[in-house]
Amino acid sequence: MTQTMIVQSFGFFIAIGLSPFFVGLIQTTKARIQGRHGPSVWQGYYVLLKYWKKETTLPENSSLIFVIAPIVSISVMLLIMLFIPWGKQLPGVLAGDFIMVFFLLALERFWTALAGLDTSGTFGGLGASRILTIGIGLEPMLFAVFGLCFFLTGNTHFAQISPLWLRQAPHLLAWFLAAGGFALTILLEIGRLPIDNPDTHLELTMMHEATQLEYNGRLFAFSHFASMCKVTAMLAIGWVWFGPTLSSQWWTLLLHLFELGVSSILVGVVESFTIKMRFFRIPYYVSAVIGMGLLAVVITAF
Amino acid sequence: MMTEISLYDAHDPWVTINAMHRQQGDELLALTGFRDQKIKAHWLLADGSIAREQVRCSSDRFMTLTTILPEVAWDEREIYDLFGYTPIAHPDLRPLLRTQRWPDDFYPLRAAMPDRPLWRDGEPDQAMKVVQGEGIVIMKVGPTHAGIIESGHFVFSVMGENILCLDAHLFQKHRGIEALLQGKSFPAIQPMIARLCGSDSVSHQYNLLQSIEQVTDRHVSEVVQYRRILVAESERILSHLNDLAQIPAGVGFAVAHQKGLALKELWQRGMAVIFGHRFLFDAMYGEVFTQEDKLHFLSLITSFEALWAKWVKLTEKNVAFHDRMRGVGKVTRQDAKQLGAVGVARRATGEKSDMRKYMPLYQVVDFTVATALGGDVEARFQVRLLEVESSLSILRQTLARMGDPSKEEPFVVPSDLTGETVTFSESPHGLNVHVIQWLDGKIDRYHIRSGSYRNWPVLAKAVEGNVVADFPLINKSFELCYSCTDR
Repeated sequence: MTQTMIVQSFGFFIAIGLSPFFVGLIQTTKARIQGRHGPSVWQGYYVLLKYWKKETTLPENSSLIFVIAPIVSISVMLLIMLFIPWGKQLPGVLAGDFIMVFFLLALERFWTALAGLDTSGTFGGLGASRILTIGIGLEPMLFAVFGLCFFLTGNTHFAQISPLWLRQAPHLLAWFLAAGGFALTILLEIGRLPIDNPDTHLELTMMHEATQLEYNGRLFAFSHFASMCKVTAMLAIGWVWFGPTLSSQWWTLLLHLFELGVSSILVGVVESFTIKMRFFRIPYYVSAVIGMGLLAVVITAF
Repeated sequence: MMTEISLYDAHDPWVTINAMHRQQGDELLALTGFRDQKIKAHWLLADGSIAREQVRCSSDRFMTLTTILPEVAWDEREIYDLFGYTPIAHPDLRPLLRTQRWPDDFYPLRAAMPDRPLWRDGEPDQAMKVVQGEGIVIMKVGPTHAGIIESGHFVFSVMGENILCLDAHLFQKHRGIEALLQGKSFPAIQPMIARLCGSDSVSHQYNLLQSIEQVTDRHVSEVVQYRRILVAESERILSHLNDLAQIPAGVGFAVAHQKGLALKELWQRGMAVIFGHRFLFDAMYGEVFTQEDKLHFLSLITSFEALWAKWVKLTEKNVAFHDRMRGVGKVTRQDAKQLGAVGVARRATGEKSDMRKYMPLYQVVDFTVATALGGDVEARFQVRLLEVESSLSILRQTLARMGDPSKEEPFVVPSDLTGETVTFSESPHGLNVHVIQWLDGKIDRYHIRSGSYRNWPVLAKAVEGNVVADFPLINKSFELCYSCTDR
């Protein structure tokens, strides 16, 4: 029991601390594939430090919402990180409910969109409209993919699903469908290609970044760090759910960290060879993922 | 005093003669004003000769041609802003480059204008063309952009994600380039013309040289001619490489973008060795091409072609990339003709419009004019791909035929040049025209109408009805220069 708590706290802090590193891994992978040397994998820390040191100014027309939104973002992400079982979980310990996680993600999206609209800048509004449009598709995607987990375990708690899940999956095909569906959902949730291009400087094509254009200083450090944590959190949820666990708590934590590194590199590879899709084609992407999730349930049920 | 109401007169001789040229299928080279109250239009006839039509604007007014020739809309607005000659019944006479800070009677190119007029206070805000209505958002981008590009202010009228109308306000820099050139001698303007813009520099240099040679009736040797082809085609490759590399960036295809830029870098380093400048500034003026340069060039082409083939494969293999370009930023053949599209934009609509066919320089080499049918981003991408390959073949032909450099007497430009020339060339961005008036060895009037200048209104047309997020992609498929439109 105490060991679980220690591993959980340890995992929580390490995962948060390494979030900029994982994003750095994605960037370095992309740079190498492009034939560039690229910035160091630790660049994320320097960037955060830079924003932290800078003066924070507020746009003329902004309200309190503008200040609150990044704080909501970072709080939500830290809370989600806390819900993720970092070691091998015993049933009934640290009950993190995945429906709760979905709504926390929605809350974060809601505040980000509000902040985008708050300054009444053109791009903020455009970005807000786009992330909310995507959000409509995102929730059914998450539910469809996790439908299988719920169907098999009868439980919505991370802690109780993760150790049981692999052994109970009767069909490898169902596992593949659900895991693949979740991988596609992650790309959409963390705003990576083929949905959104986080590296672009073209305001007209931005989604998440467009809502952040007016931020600077510490507030931007918060929201920037939140988006880094989001990458770690979503990848971690994927591995906790669809990956294996080991017999020891500590080894499981180490395994998860290793998996996070591997999946960051994978995201980098995927980003290098995909193209940003047309905005109005995203519904097809969404329906494909929902279809995969439902199919997984159907295969398991019959 | 009665207010004079002027109506459009379709039977004005100035209108009828220009309408006749259009009907014959002639190509308009330039339309510009002169200090002696004259407006001149230069037409390239089918046989390659140039016809000059002119009108004297009595009391500073002349009949507009925009109604029959939409492609001159900007030229007439420019004449109005710079000379104060009013085109009668012009449908859209908003200031093109004039801002509210200019004094009322200040027309920079008119005679006896102060160098530094008394600027008025006020925001340099121009009247915008927008669509109004419920749910329509006006979106302003620029003039300062996040990327390393020049200044242009774009006003979008957007409904949801769709662009209803784009009004591009360029001409932000106010370099005063045409006024600056006036009164200067040939050696003084040489470096200025080479630095008019970074992407079509060689073409500008060539136009200036042509003008000198027409006035002095000089014939350059064959070796120099071949060398000029080499420089011109090198620039075409350089510029196309840049444009080709930029298109993938518009859809987040970073690998093709970076590898394309690496190709461009390879080419630029070669240019620095062979012609002494990475952007080929002043390269056209040189007349020396040694055996060593030739060997350098051949090895550059060989190492380039290996990497080029890989890059082409990388982009061709990617189905999603082509899907993303298809049907986006479509310009119909008719619109392209009406709006006076030139260069790649025109050829991407299926028309074999390539000014190299009219240039005496290119009569010695064989090449086919690259065209594509779609009129969209993919077609423009395709045309550029084909043109790089045809340019490589021209380079190889030229290098093979080029004899040993002969020792030539250095050419001294006479100090009493007088005459008027219209010179043109096919720059990487299309038909590029210079109208030059020499008077006693000095520039009396220098007018530049570059390919980019003509294609900007076409871009505005191409983005209509597309989604906002595709604007960068469409823009990059034209990759127009801001610099050579600045006045």
